[in-house]
Amino acid sequence: MVMAGVSVVDTEPRGLRERLDPEILAKLKPVTLSGEQVLDVPELLKPLFPWGGLQRGWSVGVEGCGGWSLSMAMLGEALGAEGWLAVVGVPSFNVAAAAGFGVRLDRMLVVEDPGPGRWATVIATLCESVDVVAFAPGMRVGVRDQRRLTARAREQGTVLVHLDGGATWPSAIDLTLSVNTLRWDGIGDGHGHLKRRLVSVSAAGRRTGAAGAPVEMWLPDARGALGAATSIEATVEPAIESTVETAVQSTVDPAASPRSAGARHTHSKTPASPTPVTW
Amino acid sequence: MAVVWCPDWPVVAWGIPLDEPAVVVVANRVIACSPAARAEGVSVGLRRRDAQGRCPDVAVLDRDVDRESRLFEPLAIALEALTPHVEIRGPGLLGFPTRGPSRFFGGDEAMADETLAVVLPVLANRGSCRVGVADGAFTARLAARSERAIDGPRIVDPGESAAFLAGLPIAELQSAQTPTADLIDVLGRLGLSTLGAFAALNPADVVGRFGQEGQIAHRLARGEDEHPPDLRRPAPDLAVTWAFEPAADRIDRCAFAAKALADELHASLSSNGLACVRVGIEAETESGEQHLRLWRHDGALSAAALAERARWQLDGWLHLTRMMRQSARERPETADLRGTAPGGSDGLRGTSPGGSNRHDDWTQEIPDDIGVGAGIARLTLIPDEVVPASGRQLGFWGGRAERADDVTRAVGRLQGLLGPEAVTVPEWRGGRGPGEQIALIPAAAVDLGEERVATARQWIDEPWPGSVPQPAPAMVLADPIPLTIIDAAGGVVGVTGRGEITANPARVSGLNGPTAQAIHRQAGSKRGSRSVTAWAGPWPADERWWDVMSHRRRARMQLTLDDGSAHLVVIEDGEWWLEATYD
Repeated sequence: MVMAGVSVVDTEPRGLRERLDPEILAKLKPVTLSGEQVLDVPELLKPLFPWGGLQRGWSVGVEGCGGWSLSMAMLGEALGAEGWLAVVGVPSFNVAAAAGFGVRLDRMLVVEDPGPGRWATVIATLCESVDVVAFAPGMRVGVRDQRRLTARAREQGTVLVHLDGGATWPSAIDLTLSVNTLRWDGIGDGHGHLKRRLVSVSAAGRRTGAAGAPVEMWLPDARGALGAATSIEATVEPAIESTVETAVQSTVDPAASPRSAGARHTHSKTPASPTPVTW
Repeated sequence: MAVVWCPDWPVVAWGIPLDEPAVVVVANRVIACSPAARAEGVSVGLRRRDAQGRCPDVAVLDRDVDRESRLFEPLAIALEALTPHVEIRGPGLLGFPTRGPSRFFGGDEAMADETLAVVLPVLANRGSCRVGVADGAFTARLAARSERAIDGPRIVDPGESAAFLAGLPIAELQSAQTPTADLIDVLGRLGLSTLGAFAALNPADVVGRFGQEGQIAHRLARGEDEHPPDLRRPAPDLAVTWAFEPAADRIDRCAFAAKALADELHASLSSNGLACVRVGIEAETESGEQHLRLWRHDGALSAAALAERARWQLDGWLHLTRMMRQSARERPETADLRGTAPGGSDGLRGTSPGGSNRHDDWTQEIPDDIGVGAGIARLTLIPDEVVPASGRQLGFWGGRAERADDVTRAVGRLQGLLGPEAVTVPEWRGGRGPGEQIALIPAAAVDLGEERVATARQWIDEPWPGSVPQPAPAMVLADPIPLTIIDAAGGVVGVTGRGEITANPARVSGLNGPTAQAIHRQAGSKRGSRSVTAWAGPWPADERWWDVMSHRRRARMQLTLDDGSAHLVVIEDGEWWLEATYD
């Protein structure tokens, strides 16, 4: 097989090249620059990343209300079917929510309590074999640990995800994604339940150039995953939401045909979540 | 070819008496069990939990290959009384060519009986031993495994190998290295249930369909050797040597040298397009004695495998030296006897097959071989048999093919650092509360390379009425935070026995920040007050009312606050707690 392949390349390289899919050709290049070693992120988040994806070896932080959900949505796509995730020292990280965003449970390690002194050693060890380590150190990280972990992550191509937004990191991290919650849908004044949330996400950090425009999206959407926010939904809804405390709300809600033609449609398509029993 | 096989060697090496149930597990699967455990229904390949279920008082041991090889060395030394060409095929299994010894003892039967007579005293009732003799190593091994080998040596007469193998199931090919489980599976599904049926096929057809792997399997099934007889003897200059200065008597120094030598040997072989299937490990002690042991591997030996075998072998020799020093201290009169016959003066014992003296225990075995104080001065690795290297194909796109192995290794290191329970893997569980749907299992208890059913969402297909509706909160507090929820008039909000809220919640105090990070960092602090923008619930859950100890009567409510955050709060015994945050 190998011999045959070599001879084809030798005799008619040009013809072979033309027949090959450009995507495969790109992969065949012998050298990959560091900027090309990126993990895919969901289409909606791509404008926020300088290389259009999560670059291996980077430190990425999430901050703001909704940051953890954003990290889960990002990793669900980035890890794919084969990538391994380790969560270190964050006992409140809800694995069930991560699974909703597509993170695979059989590719996940959880170290709930790495102990005070061995926190950095644990992450350094994990860097050698997993693709992404998510963590939130409870205390300020020393400069030595930071340098060691950054170097190790670079070398191994591991992405470090700071669930605390890098607040405890002694130096600036490569990319910080800030989430701003605009509103929640589905919950009223004593009725309904939380269904979806409109957020705007912006990126900043020493690796990005000028900060791009914030991107609005549903996090999570009615399916529990990441969803695109159409301009109508994003603009019309806040006006209604602002009246939520008033008595008008009850009359607006059934008559809200213009705003949520799309939204209601989506709701009816998804299977109704089990109605809680009452006592 | 004669094969000496010690069944259950991993258990025997641990020094467990045969009448006590014990199993050795690797990655949660039983790889060896003692006869007592087998009598209780434990078998190889069982999960650890199942084995413990069948035999509750079974001792569960980890595999210790170093120990297995170290303790196997005395058997090889004992067999050197019969032949100099003992080759170790792995801990618990060795073989030697029979032509010379059989002629000396007067036939295969007598030679096999003599083999047992030499080996059994060394084992000293610690374990059992079986001998099989046949034309080829594969057949001899199967002969040793057969039922009839329990009572005495099983001898397959010359030329009878094919007939002996014909009736055996095709799955016996597993005991050889080359045919993979896939090939054996395919053969079985083709209707070739016995080795005889496979051997009856035309060799050309087999090669055409299954390639080299099929050819080797077919040779084995026909009772021929794994390798064709035209093996080249490699040029002697391929051997690599390491001189210790000063002589080494510690295994760590030896292991370091062995690693370097193995890498060097492997590099020089592969640059010649060769791979080694049998390696000779030769050590020269300070006093000039030479010890040689052959190790065979059915597949080609990688650099790591070469280094491992050299380390095992040196460890075996050094261990015997240590034991002998000990016994010399304990029994001075024996040491005197040894003094009269200086160790090593007669060279390799195995050169005189008749000079077999019986040994009563393991310690008396030693003095002839490595003298007191003999460190290893020179180590040589000799590629004794080589085959053309067929190479190993790595992932073409640079993918890491053995990721699960990598991760398992990292987990092992972390367990050494933090304790066996510290590294966990998540699995689905049924439950109503957000924190009850995931269970964390110690990673040591699962095989990371295998598919685990409980990691798929579909694993929980029963409905859980009263569970909190989707989506799941991103953050479930390990320690819930106490809250105060008041209505517009300042009264405390409660939930009635009918599951209705007493007043609309207006403000929440006890939360200190809008984001999960703030909650995470300042859990427990009781500052800050936020107004409620929307709420839903309460959803009561009266769980486990049949059990006094685990009965919990709670009601949950979702709140969104004026800073945009959303939370799941729970009331129990009249007190509100923050259970989870939709971060």
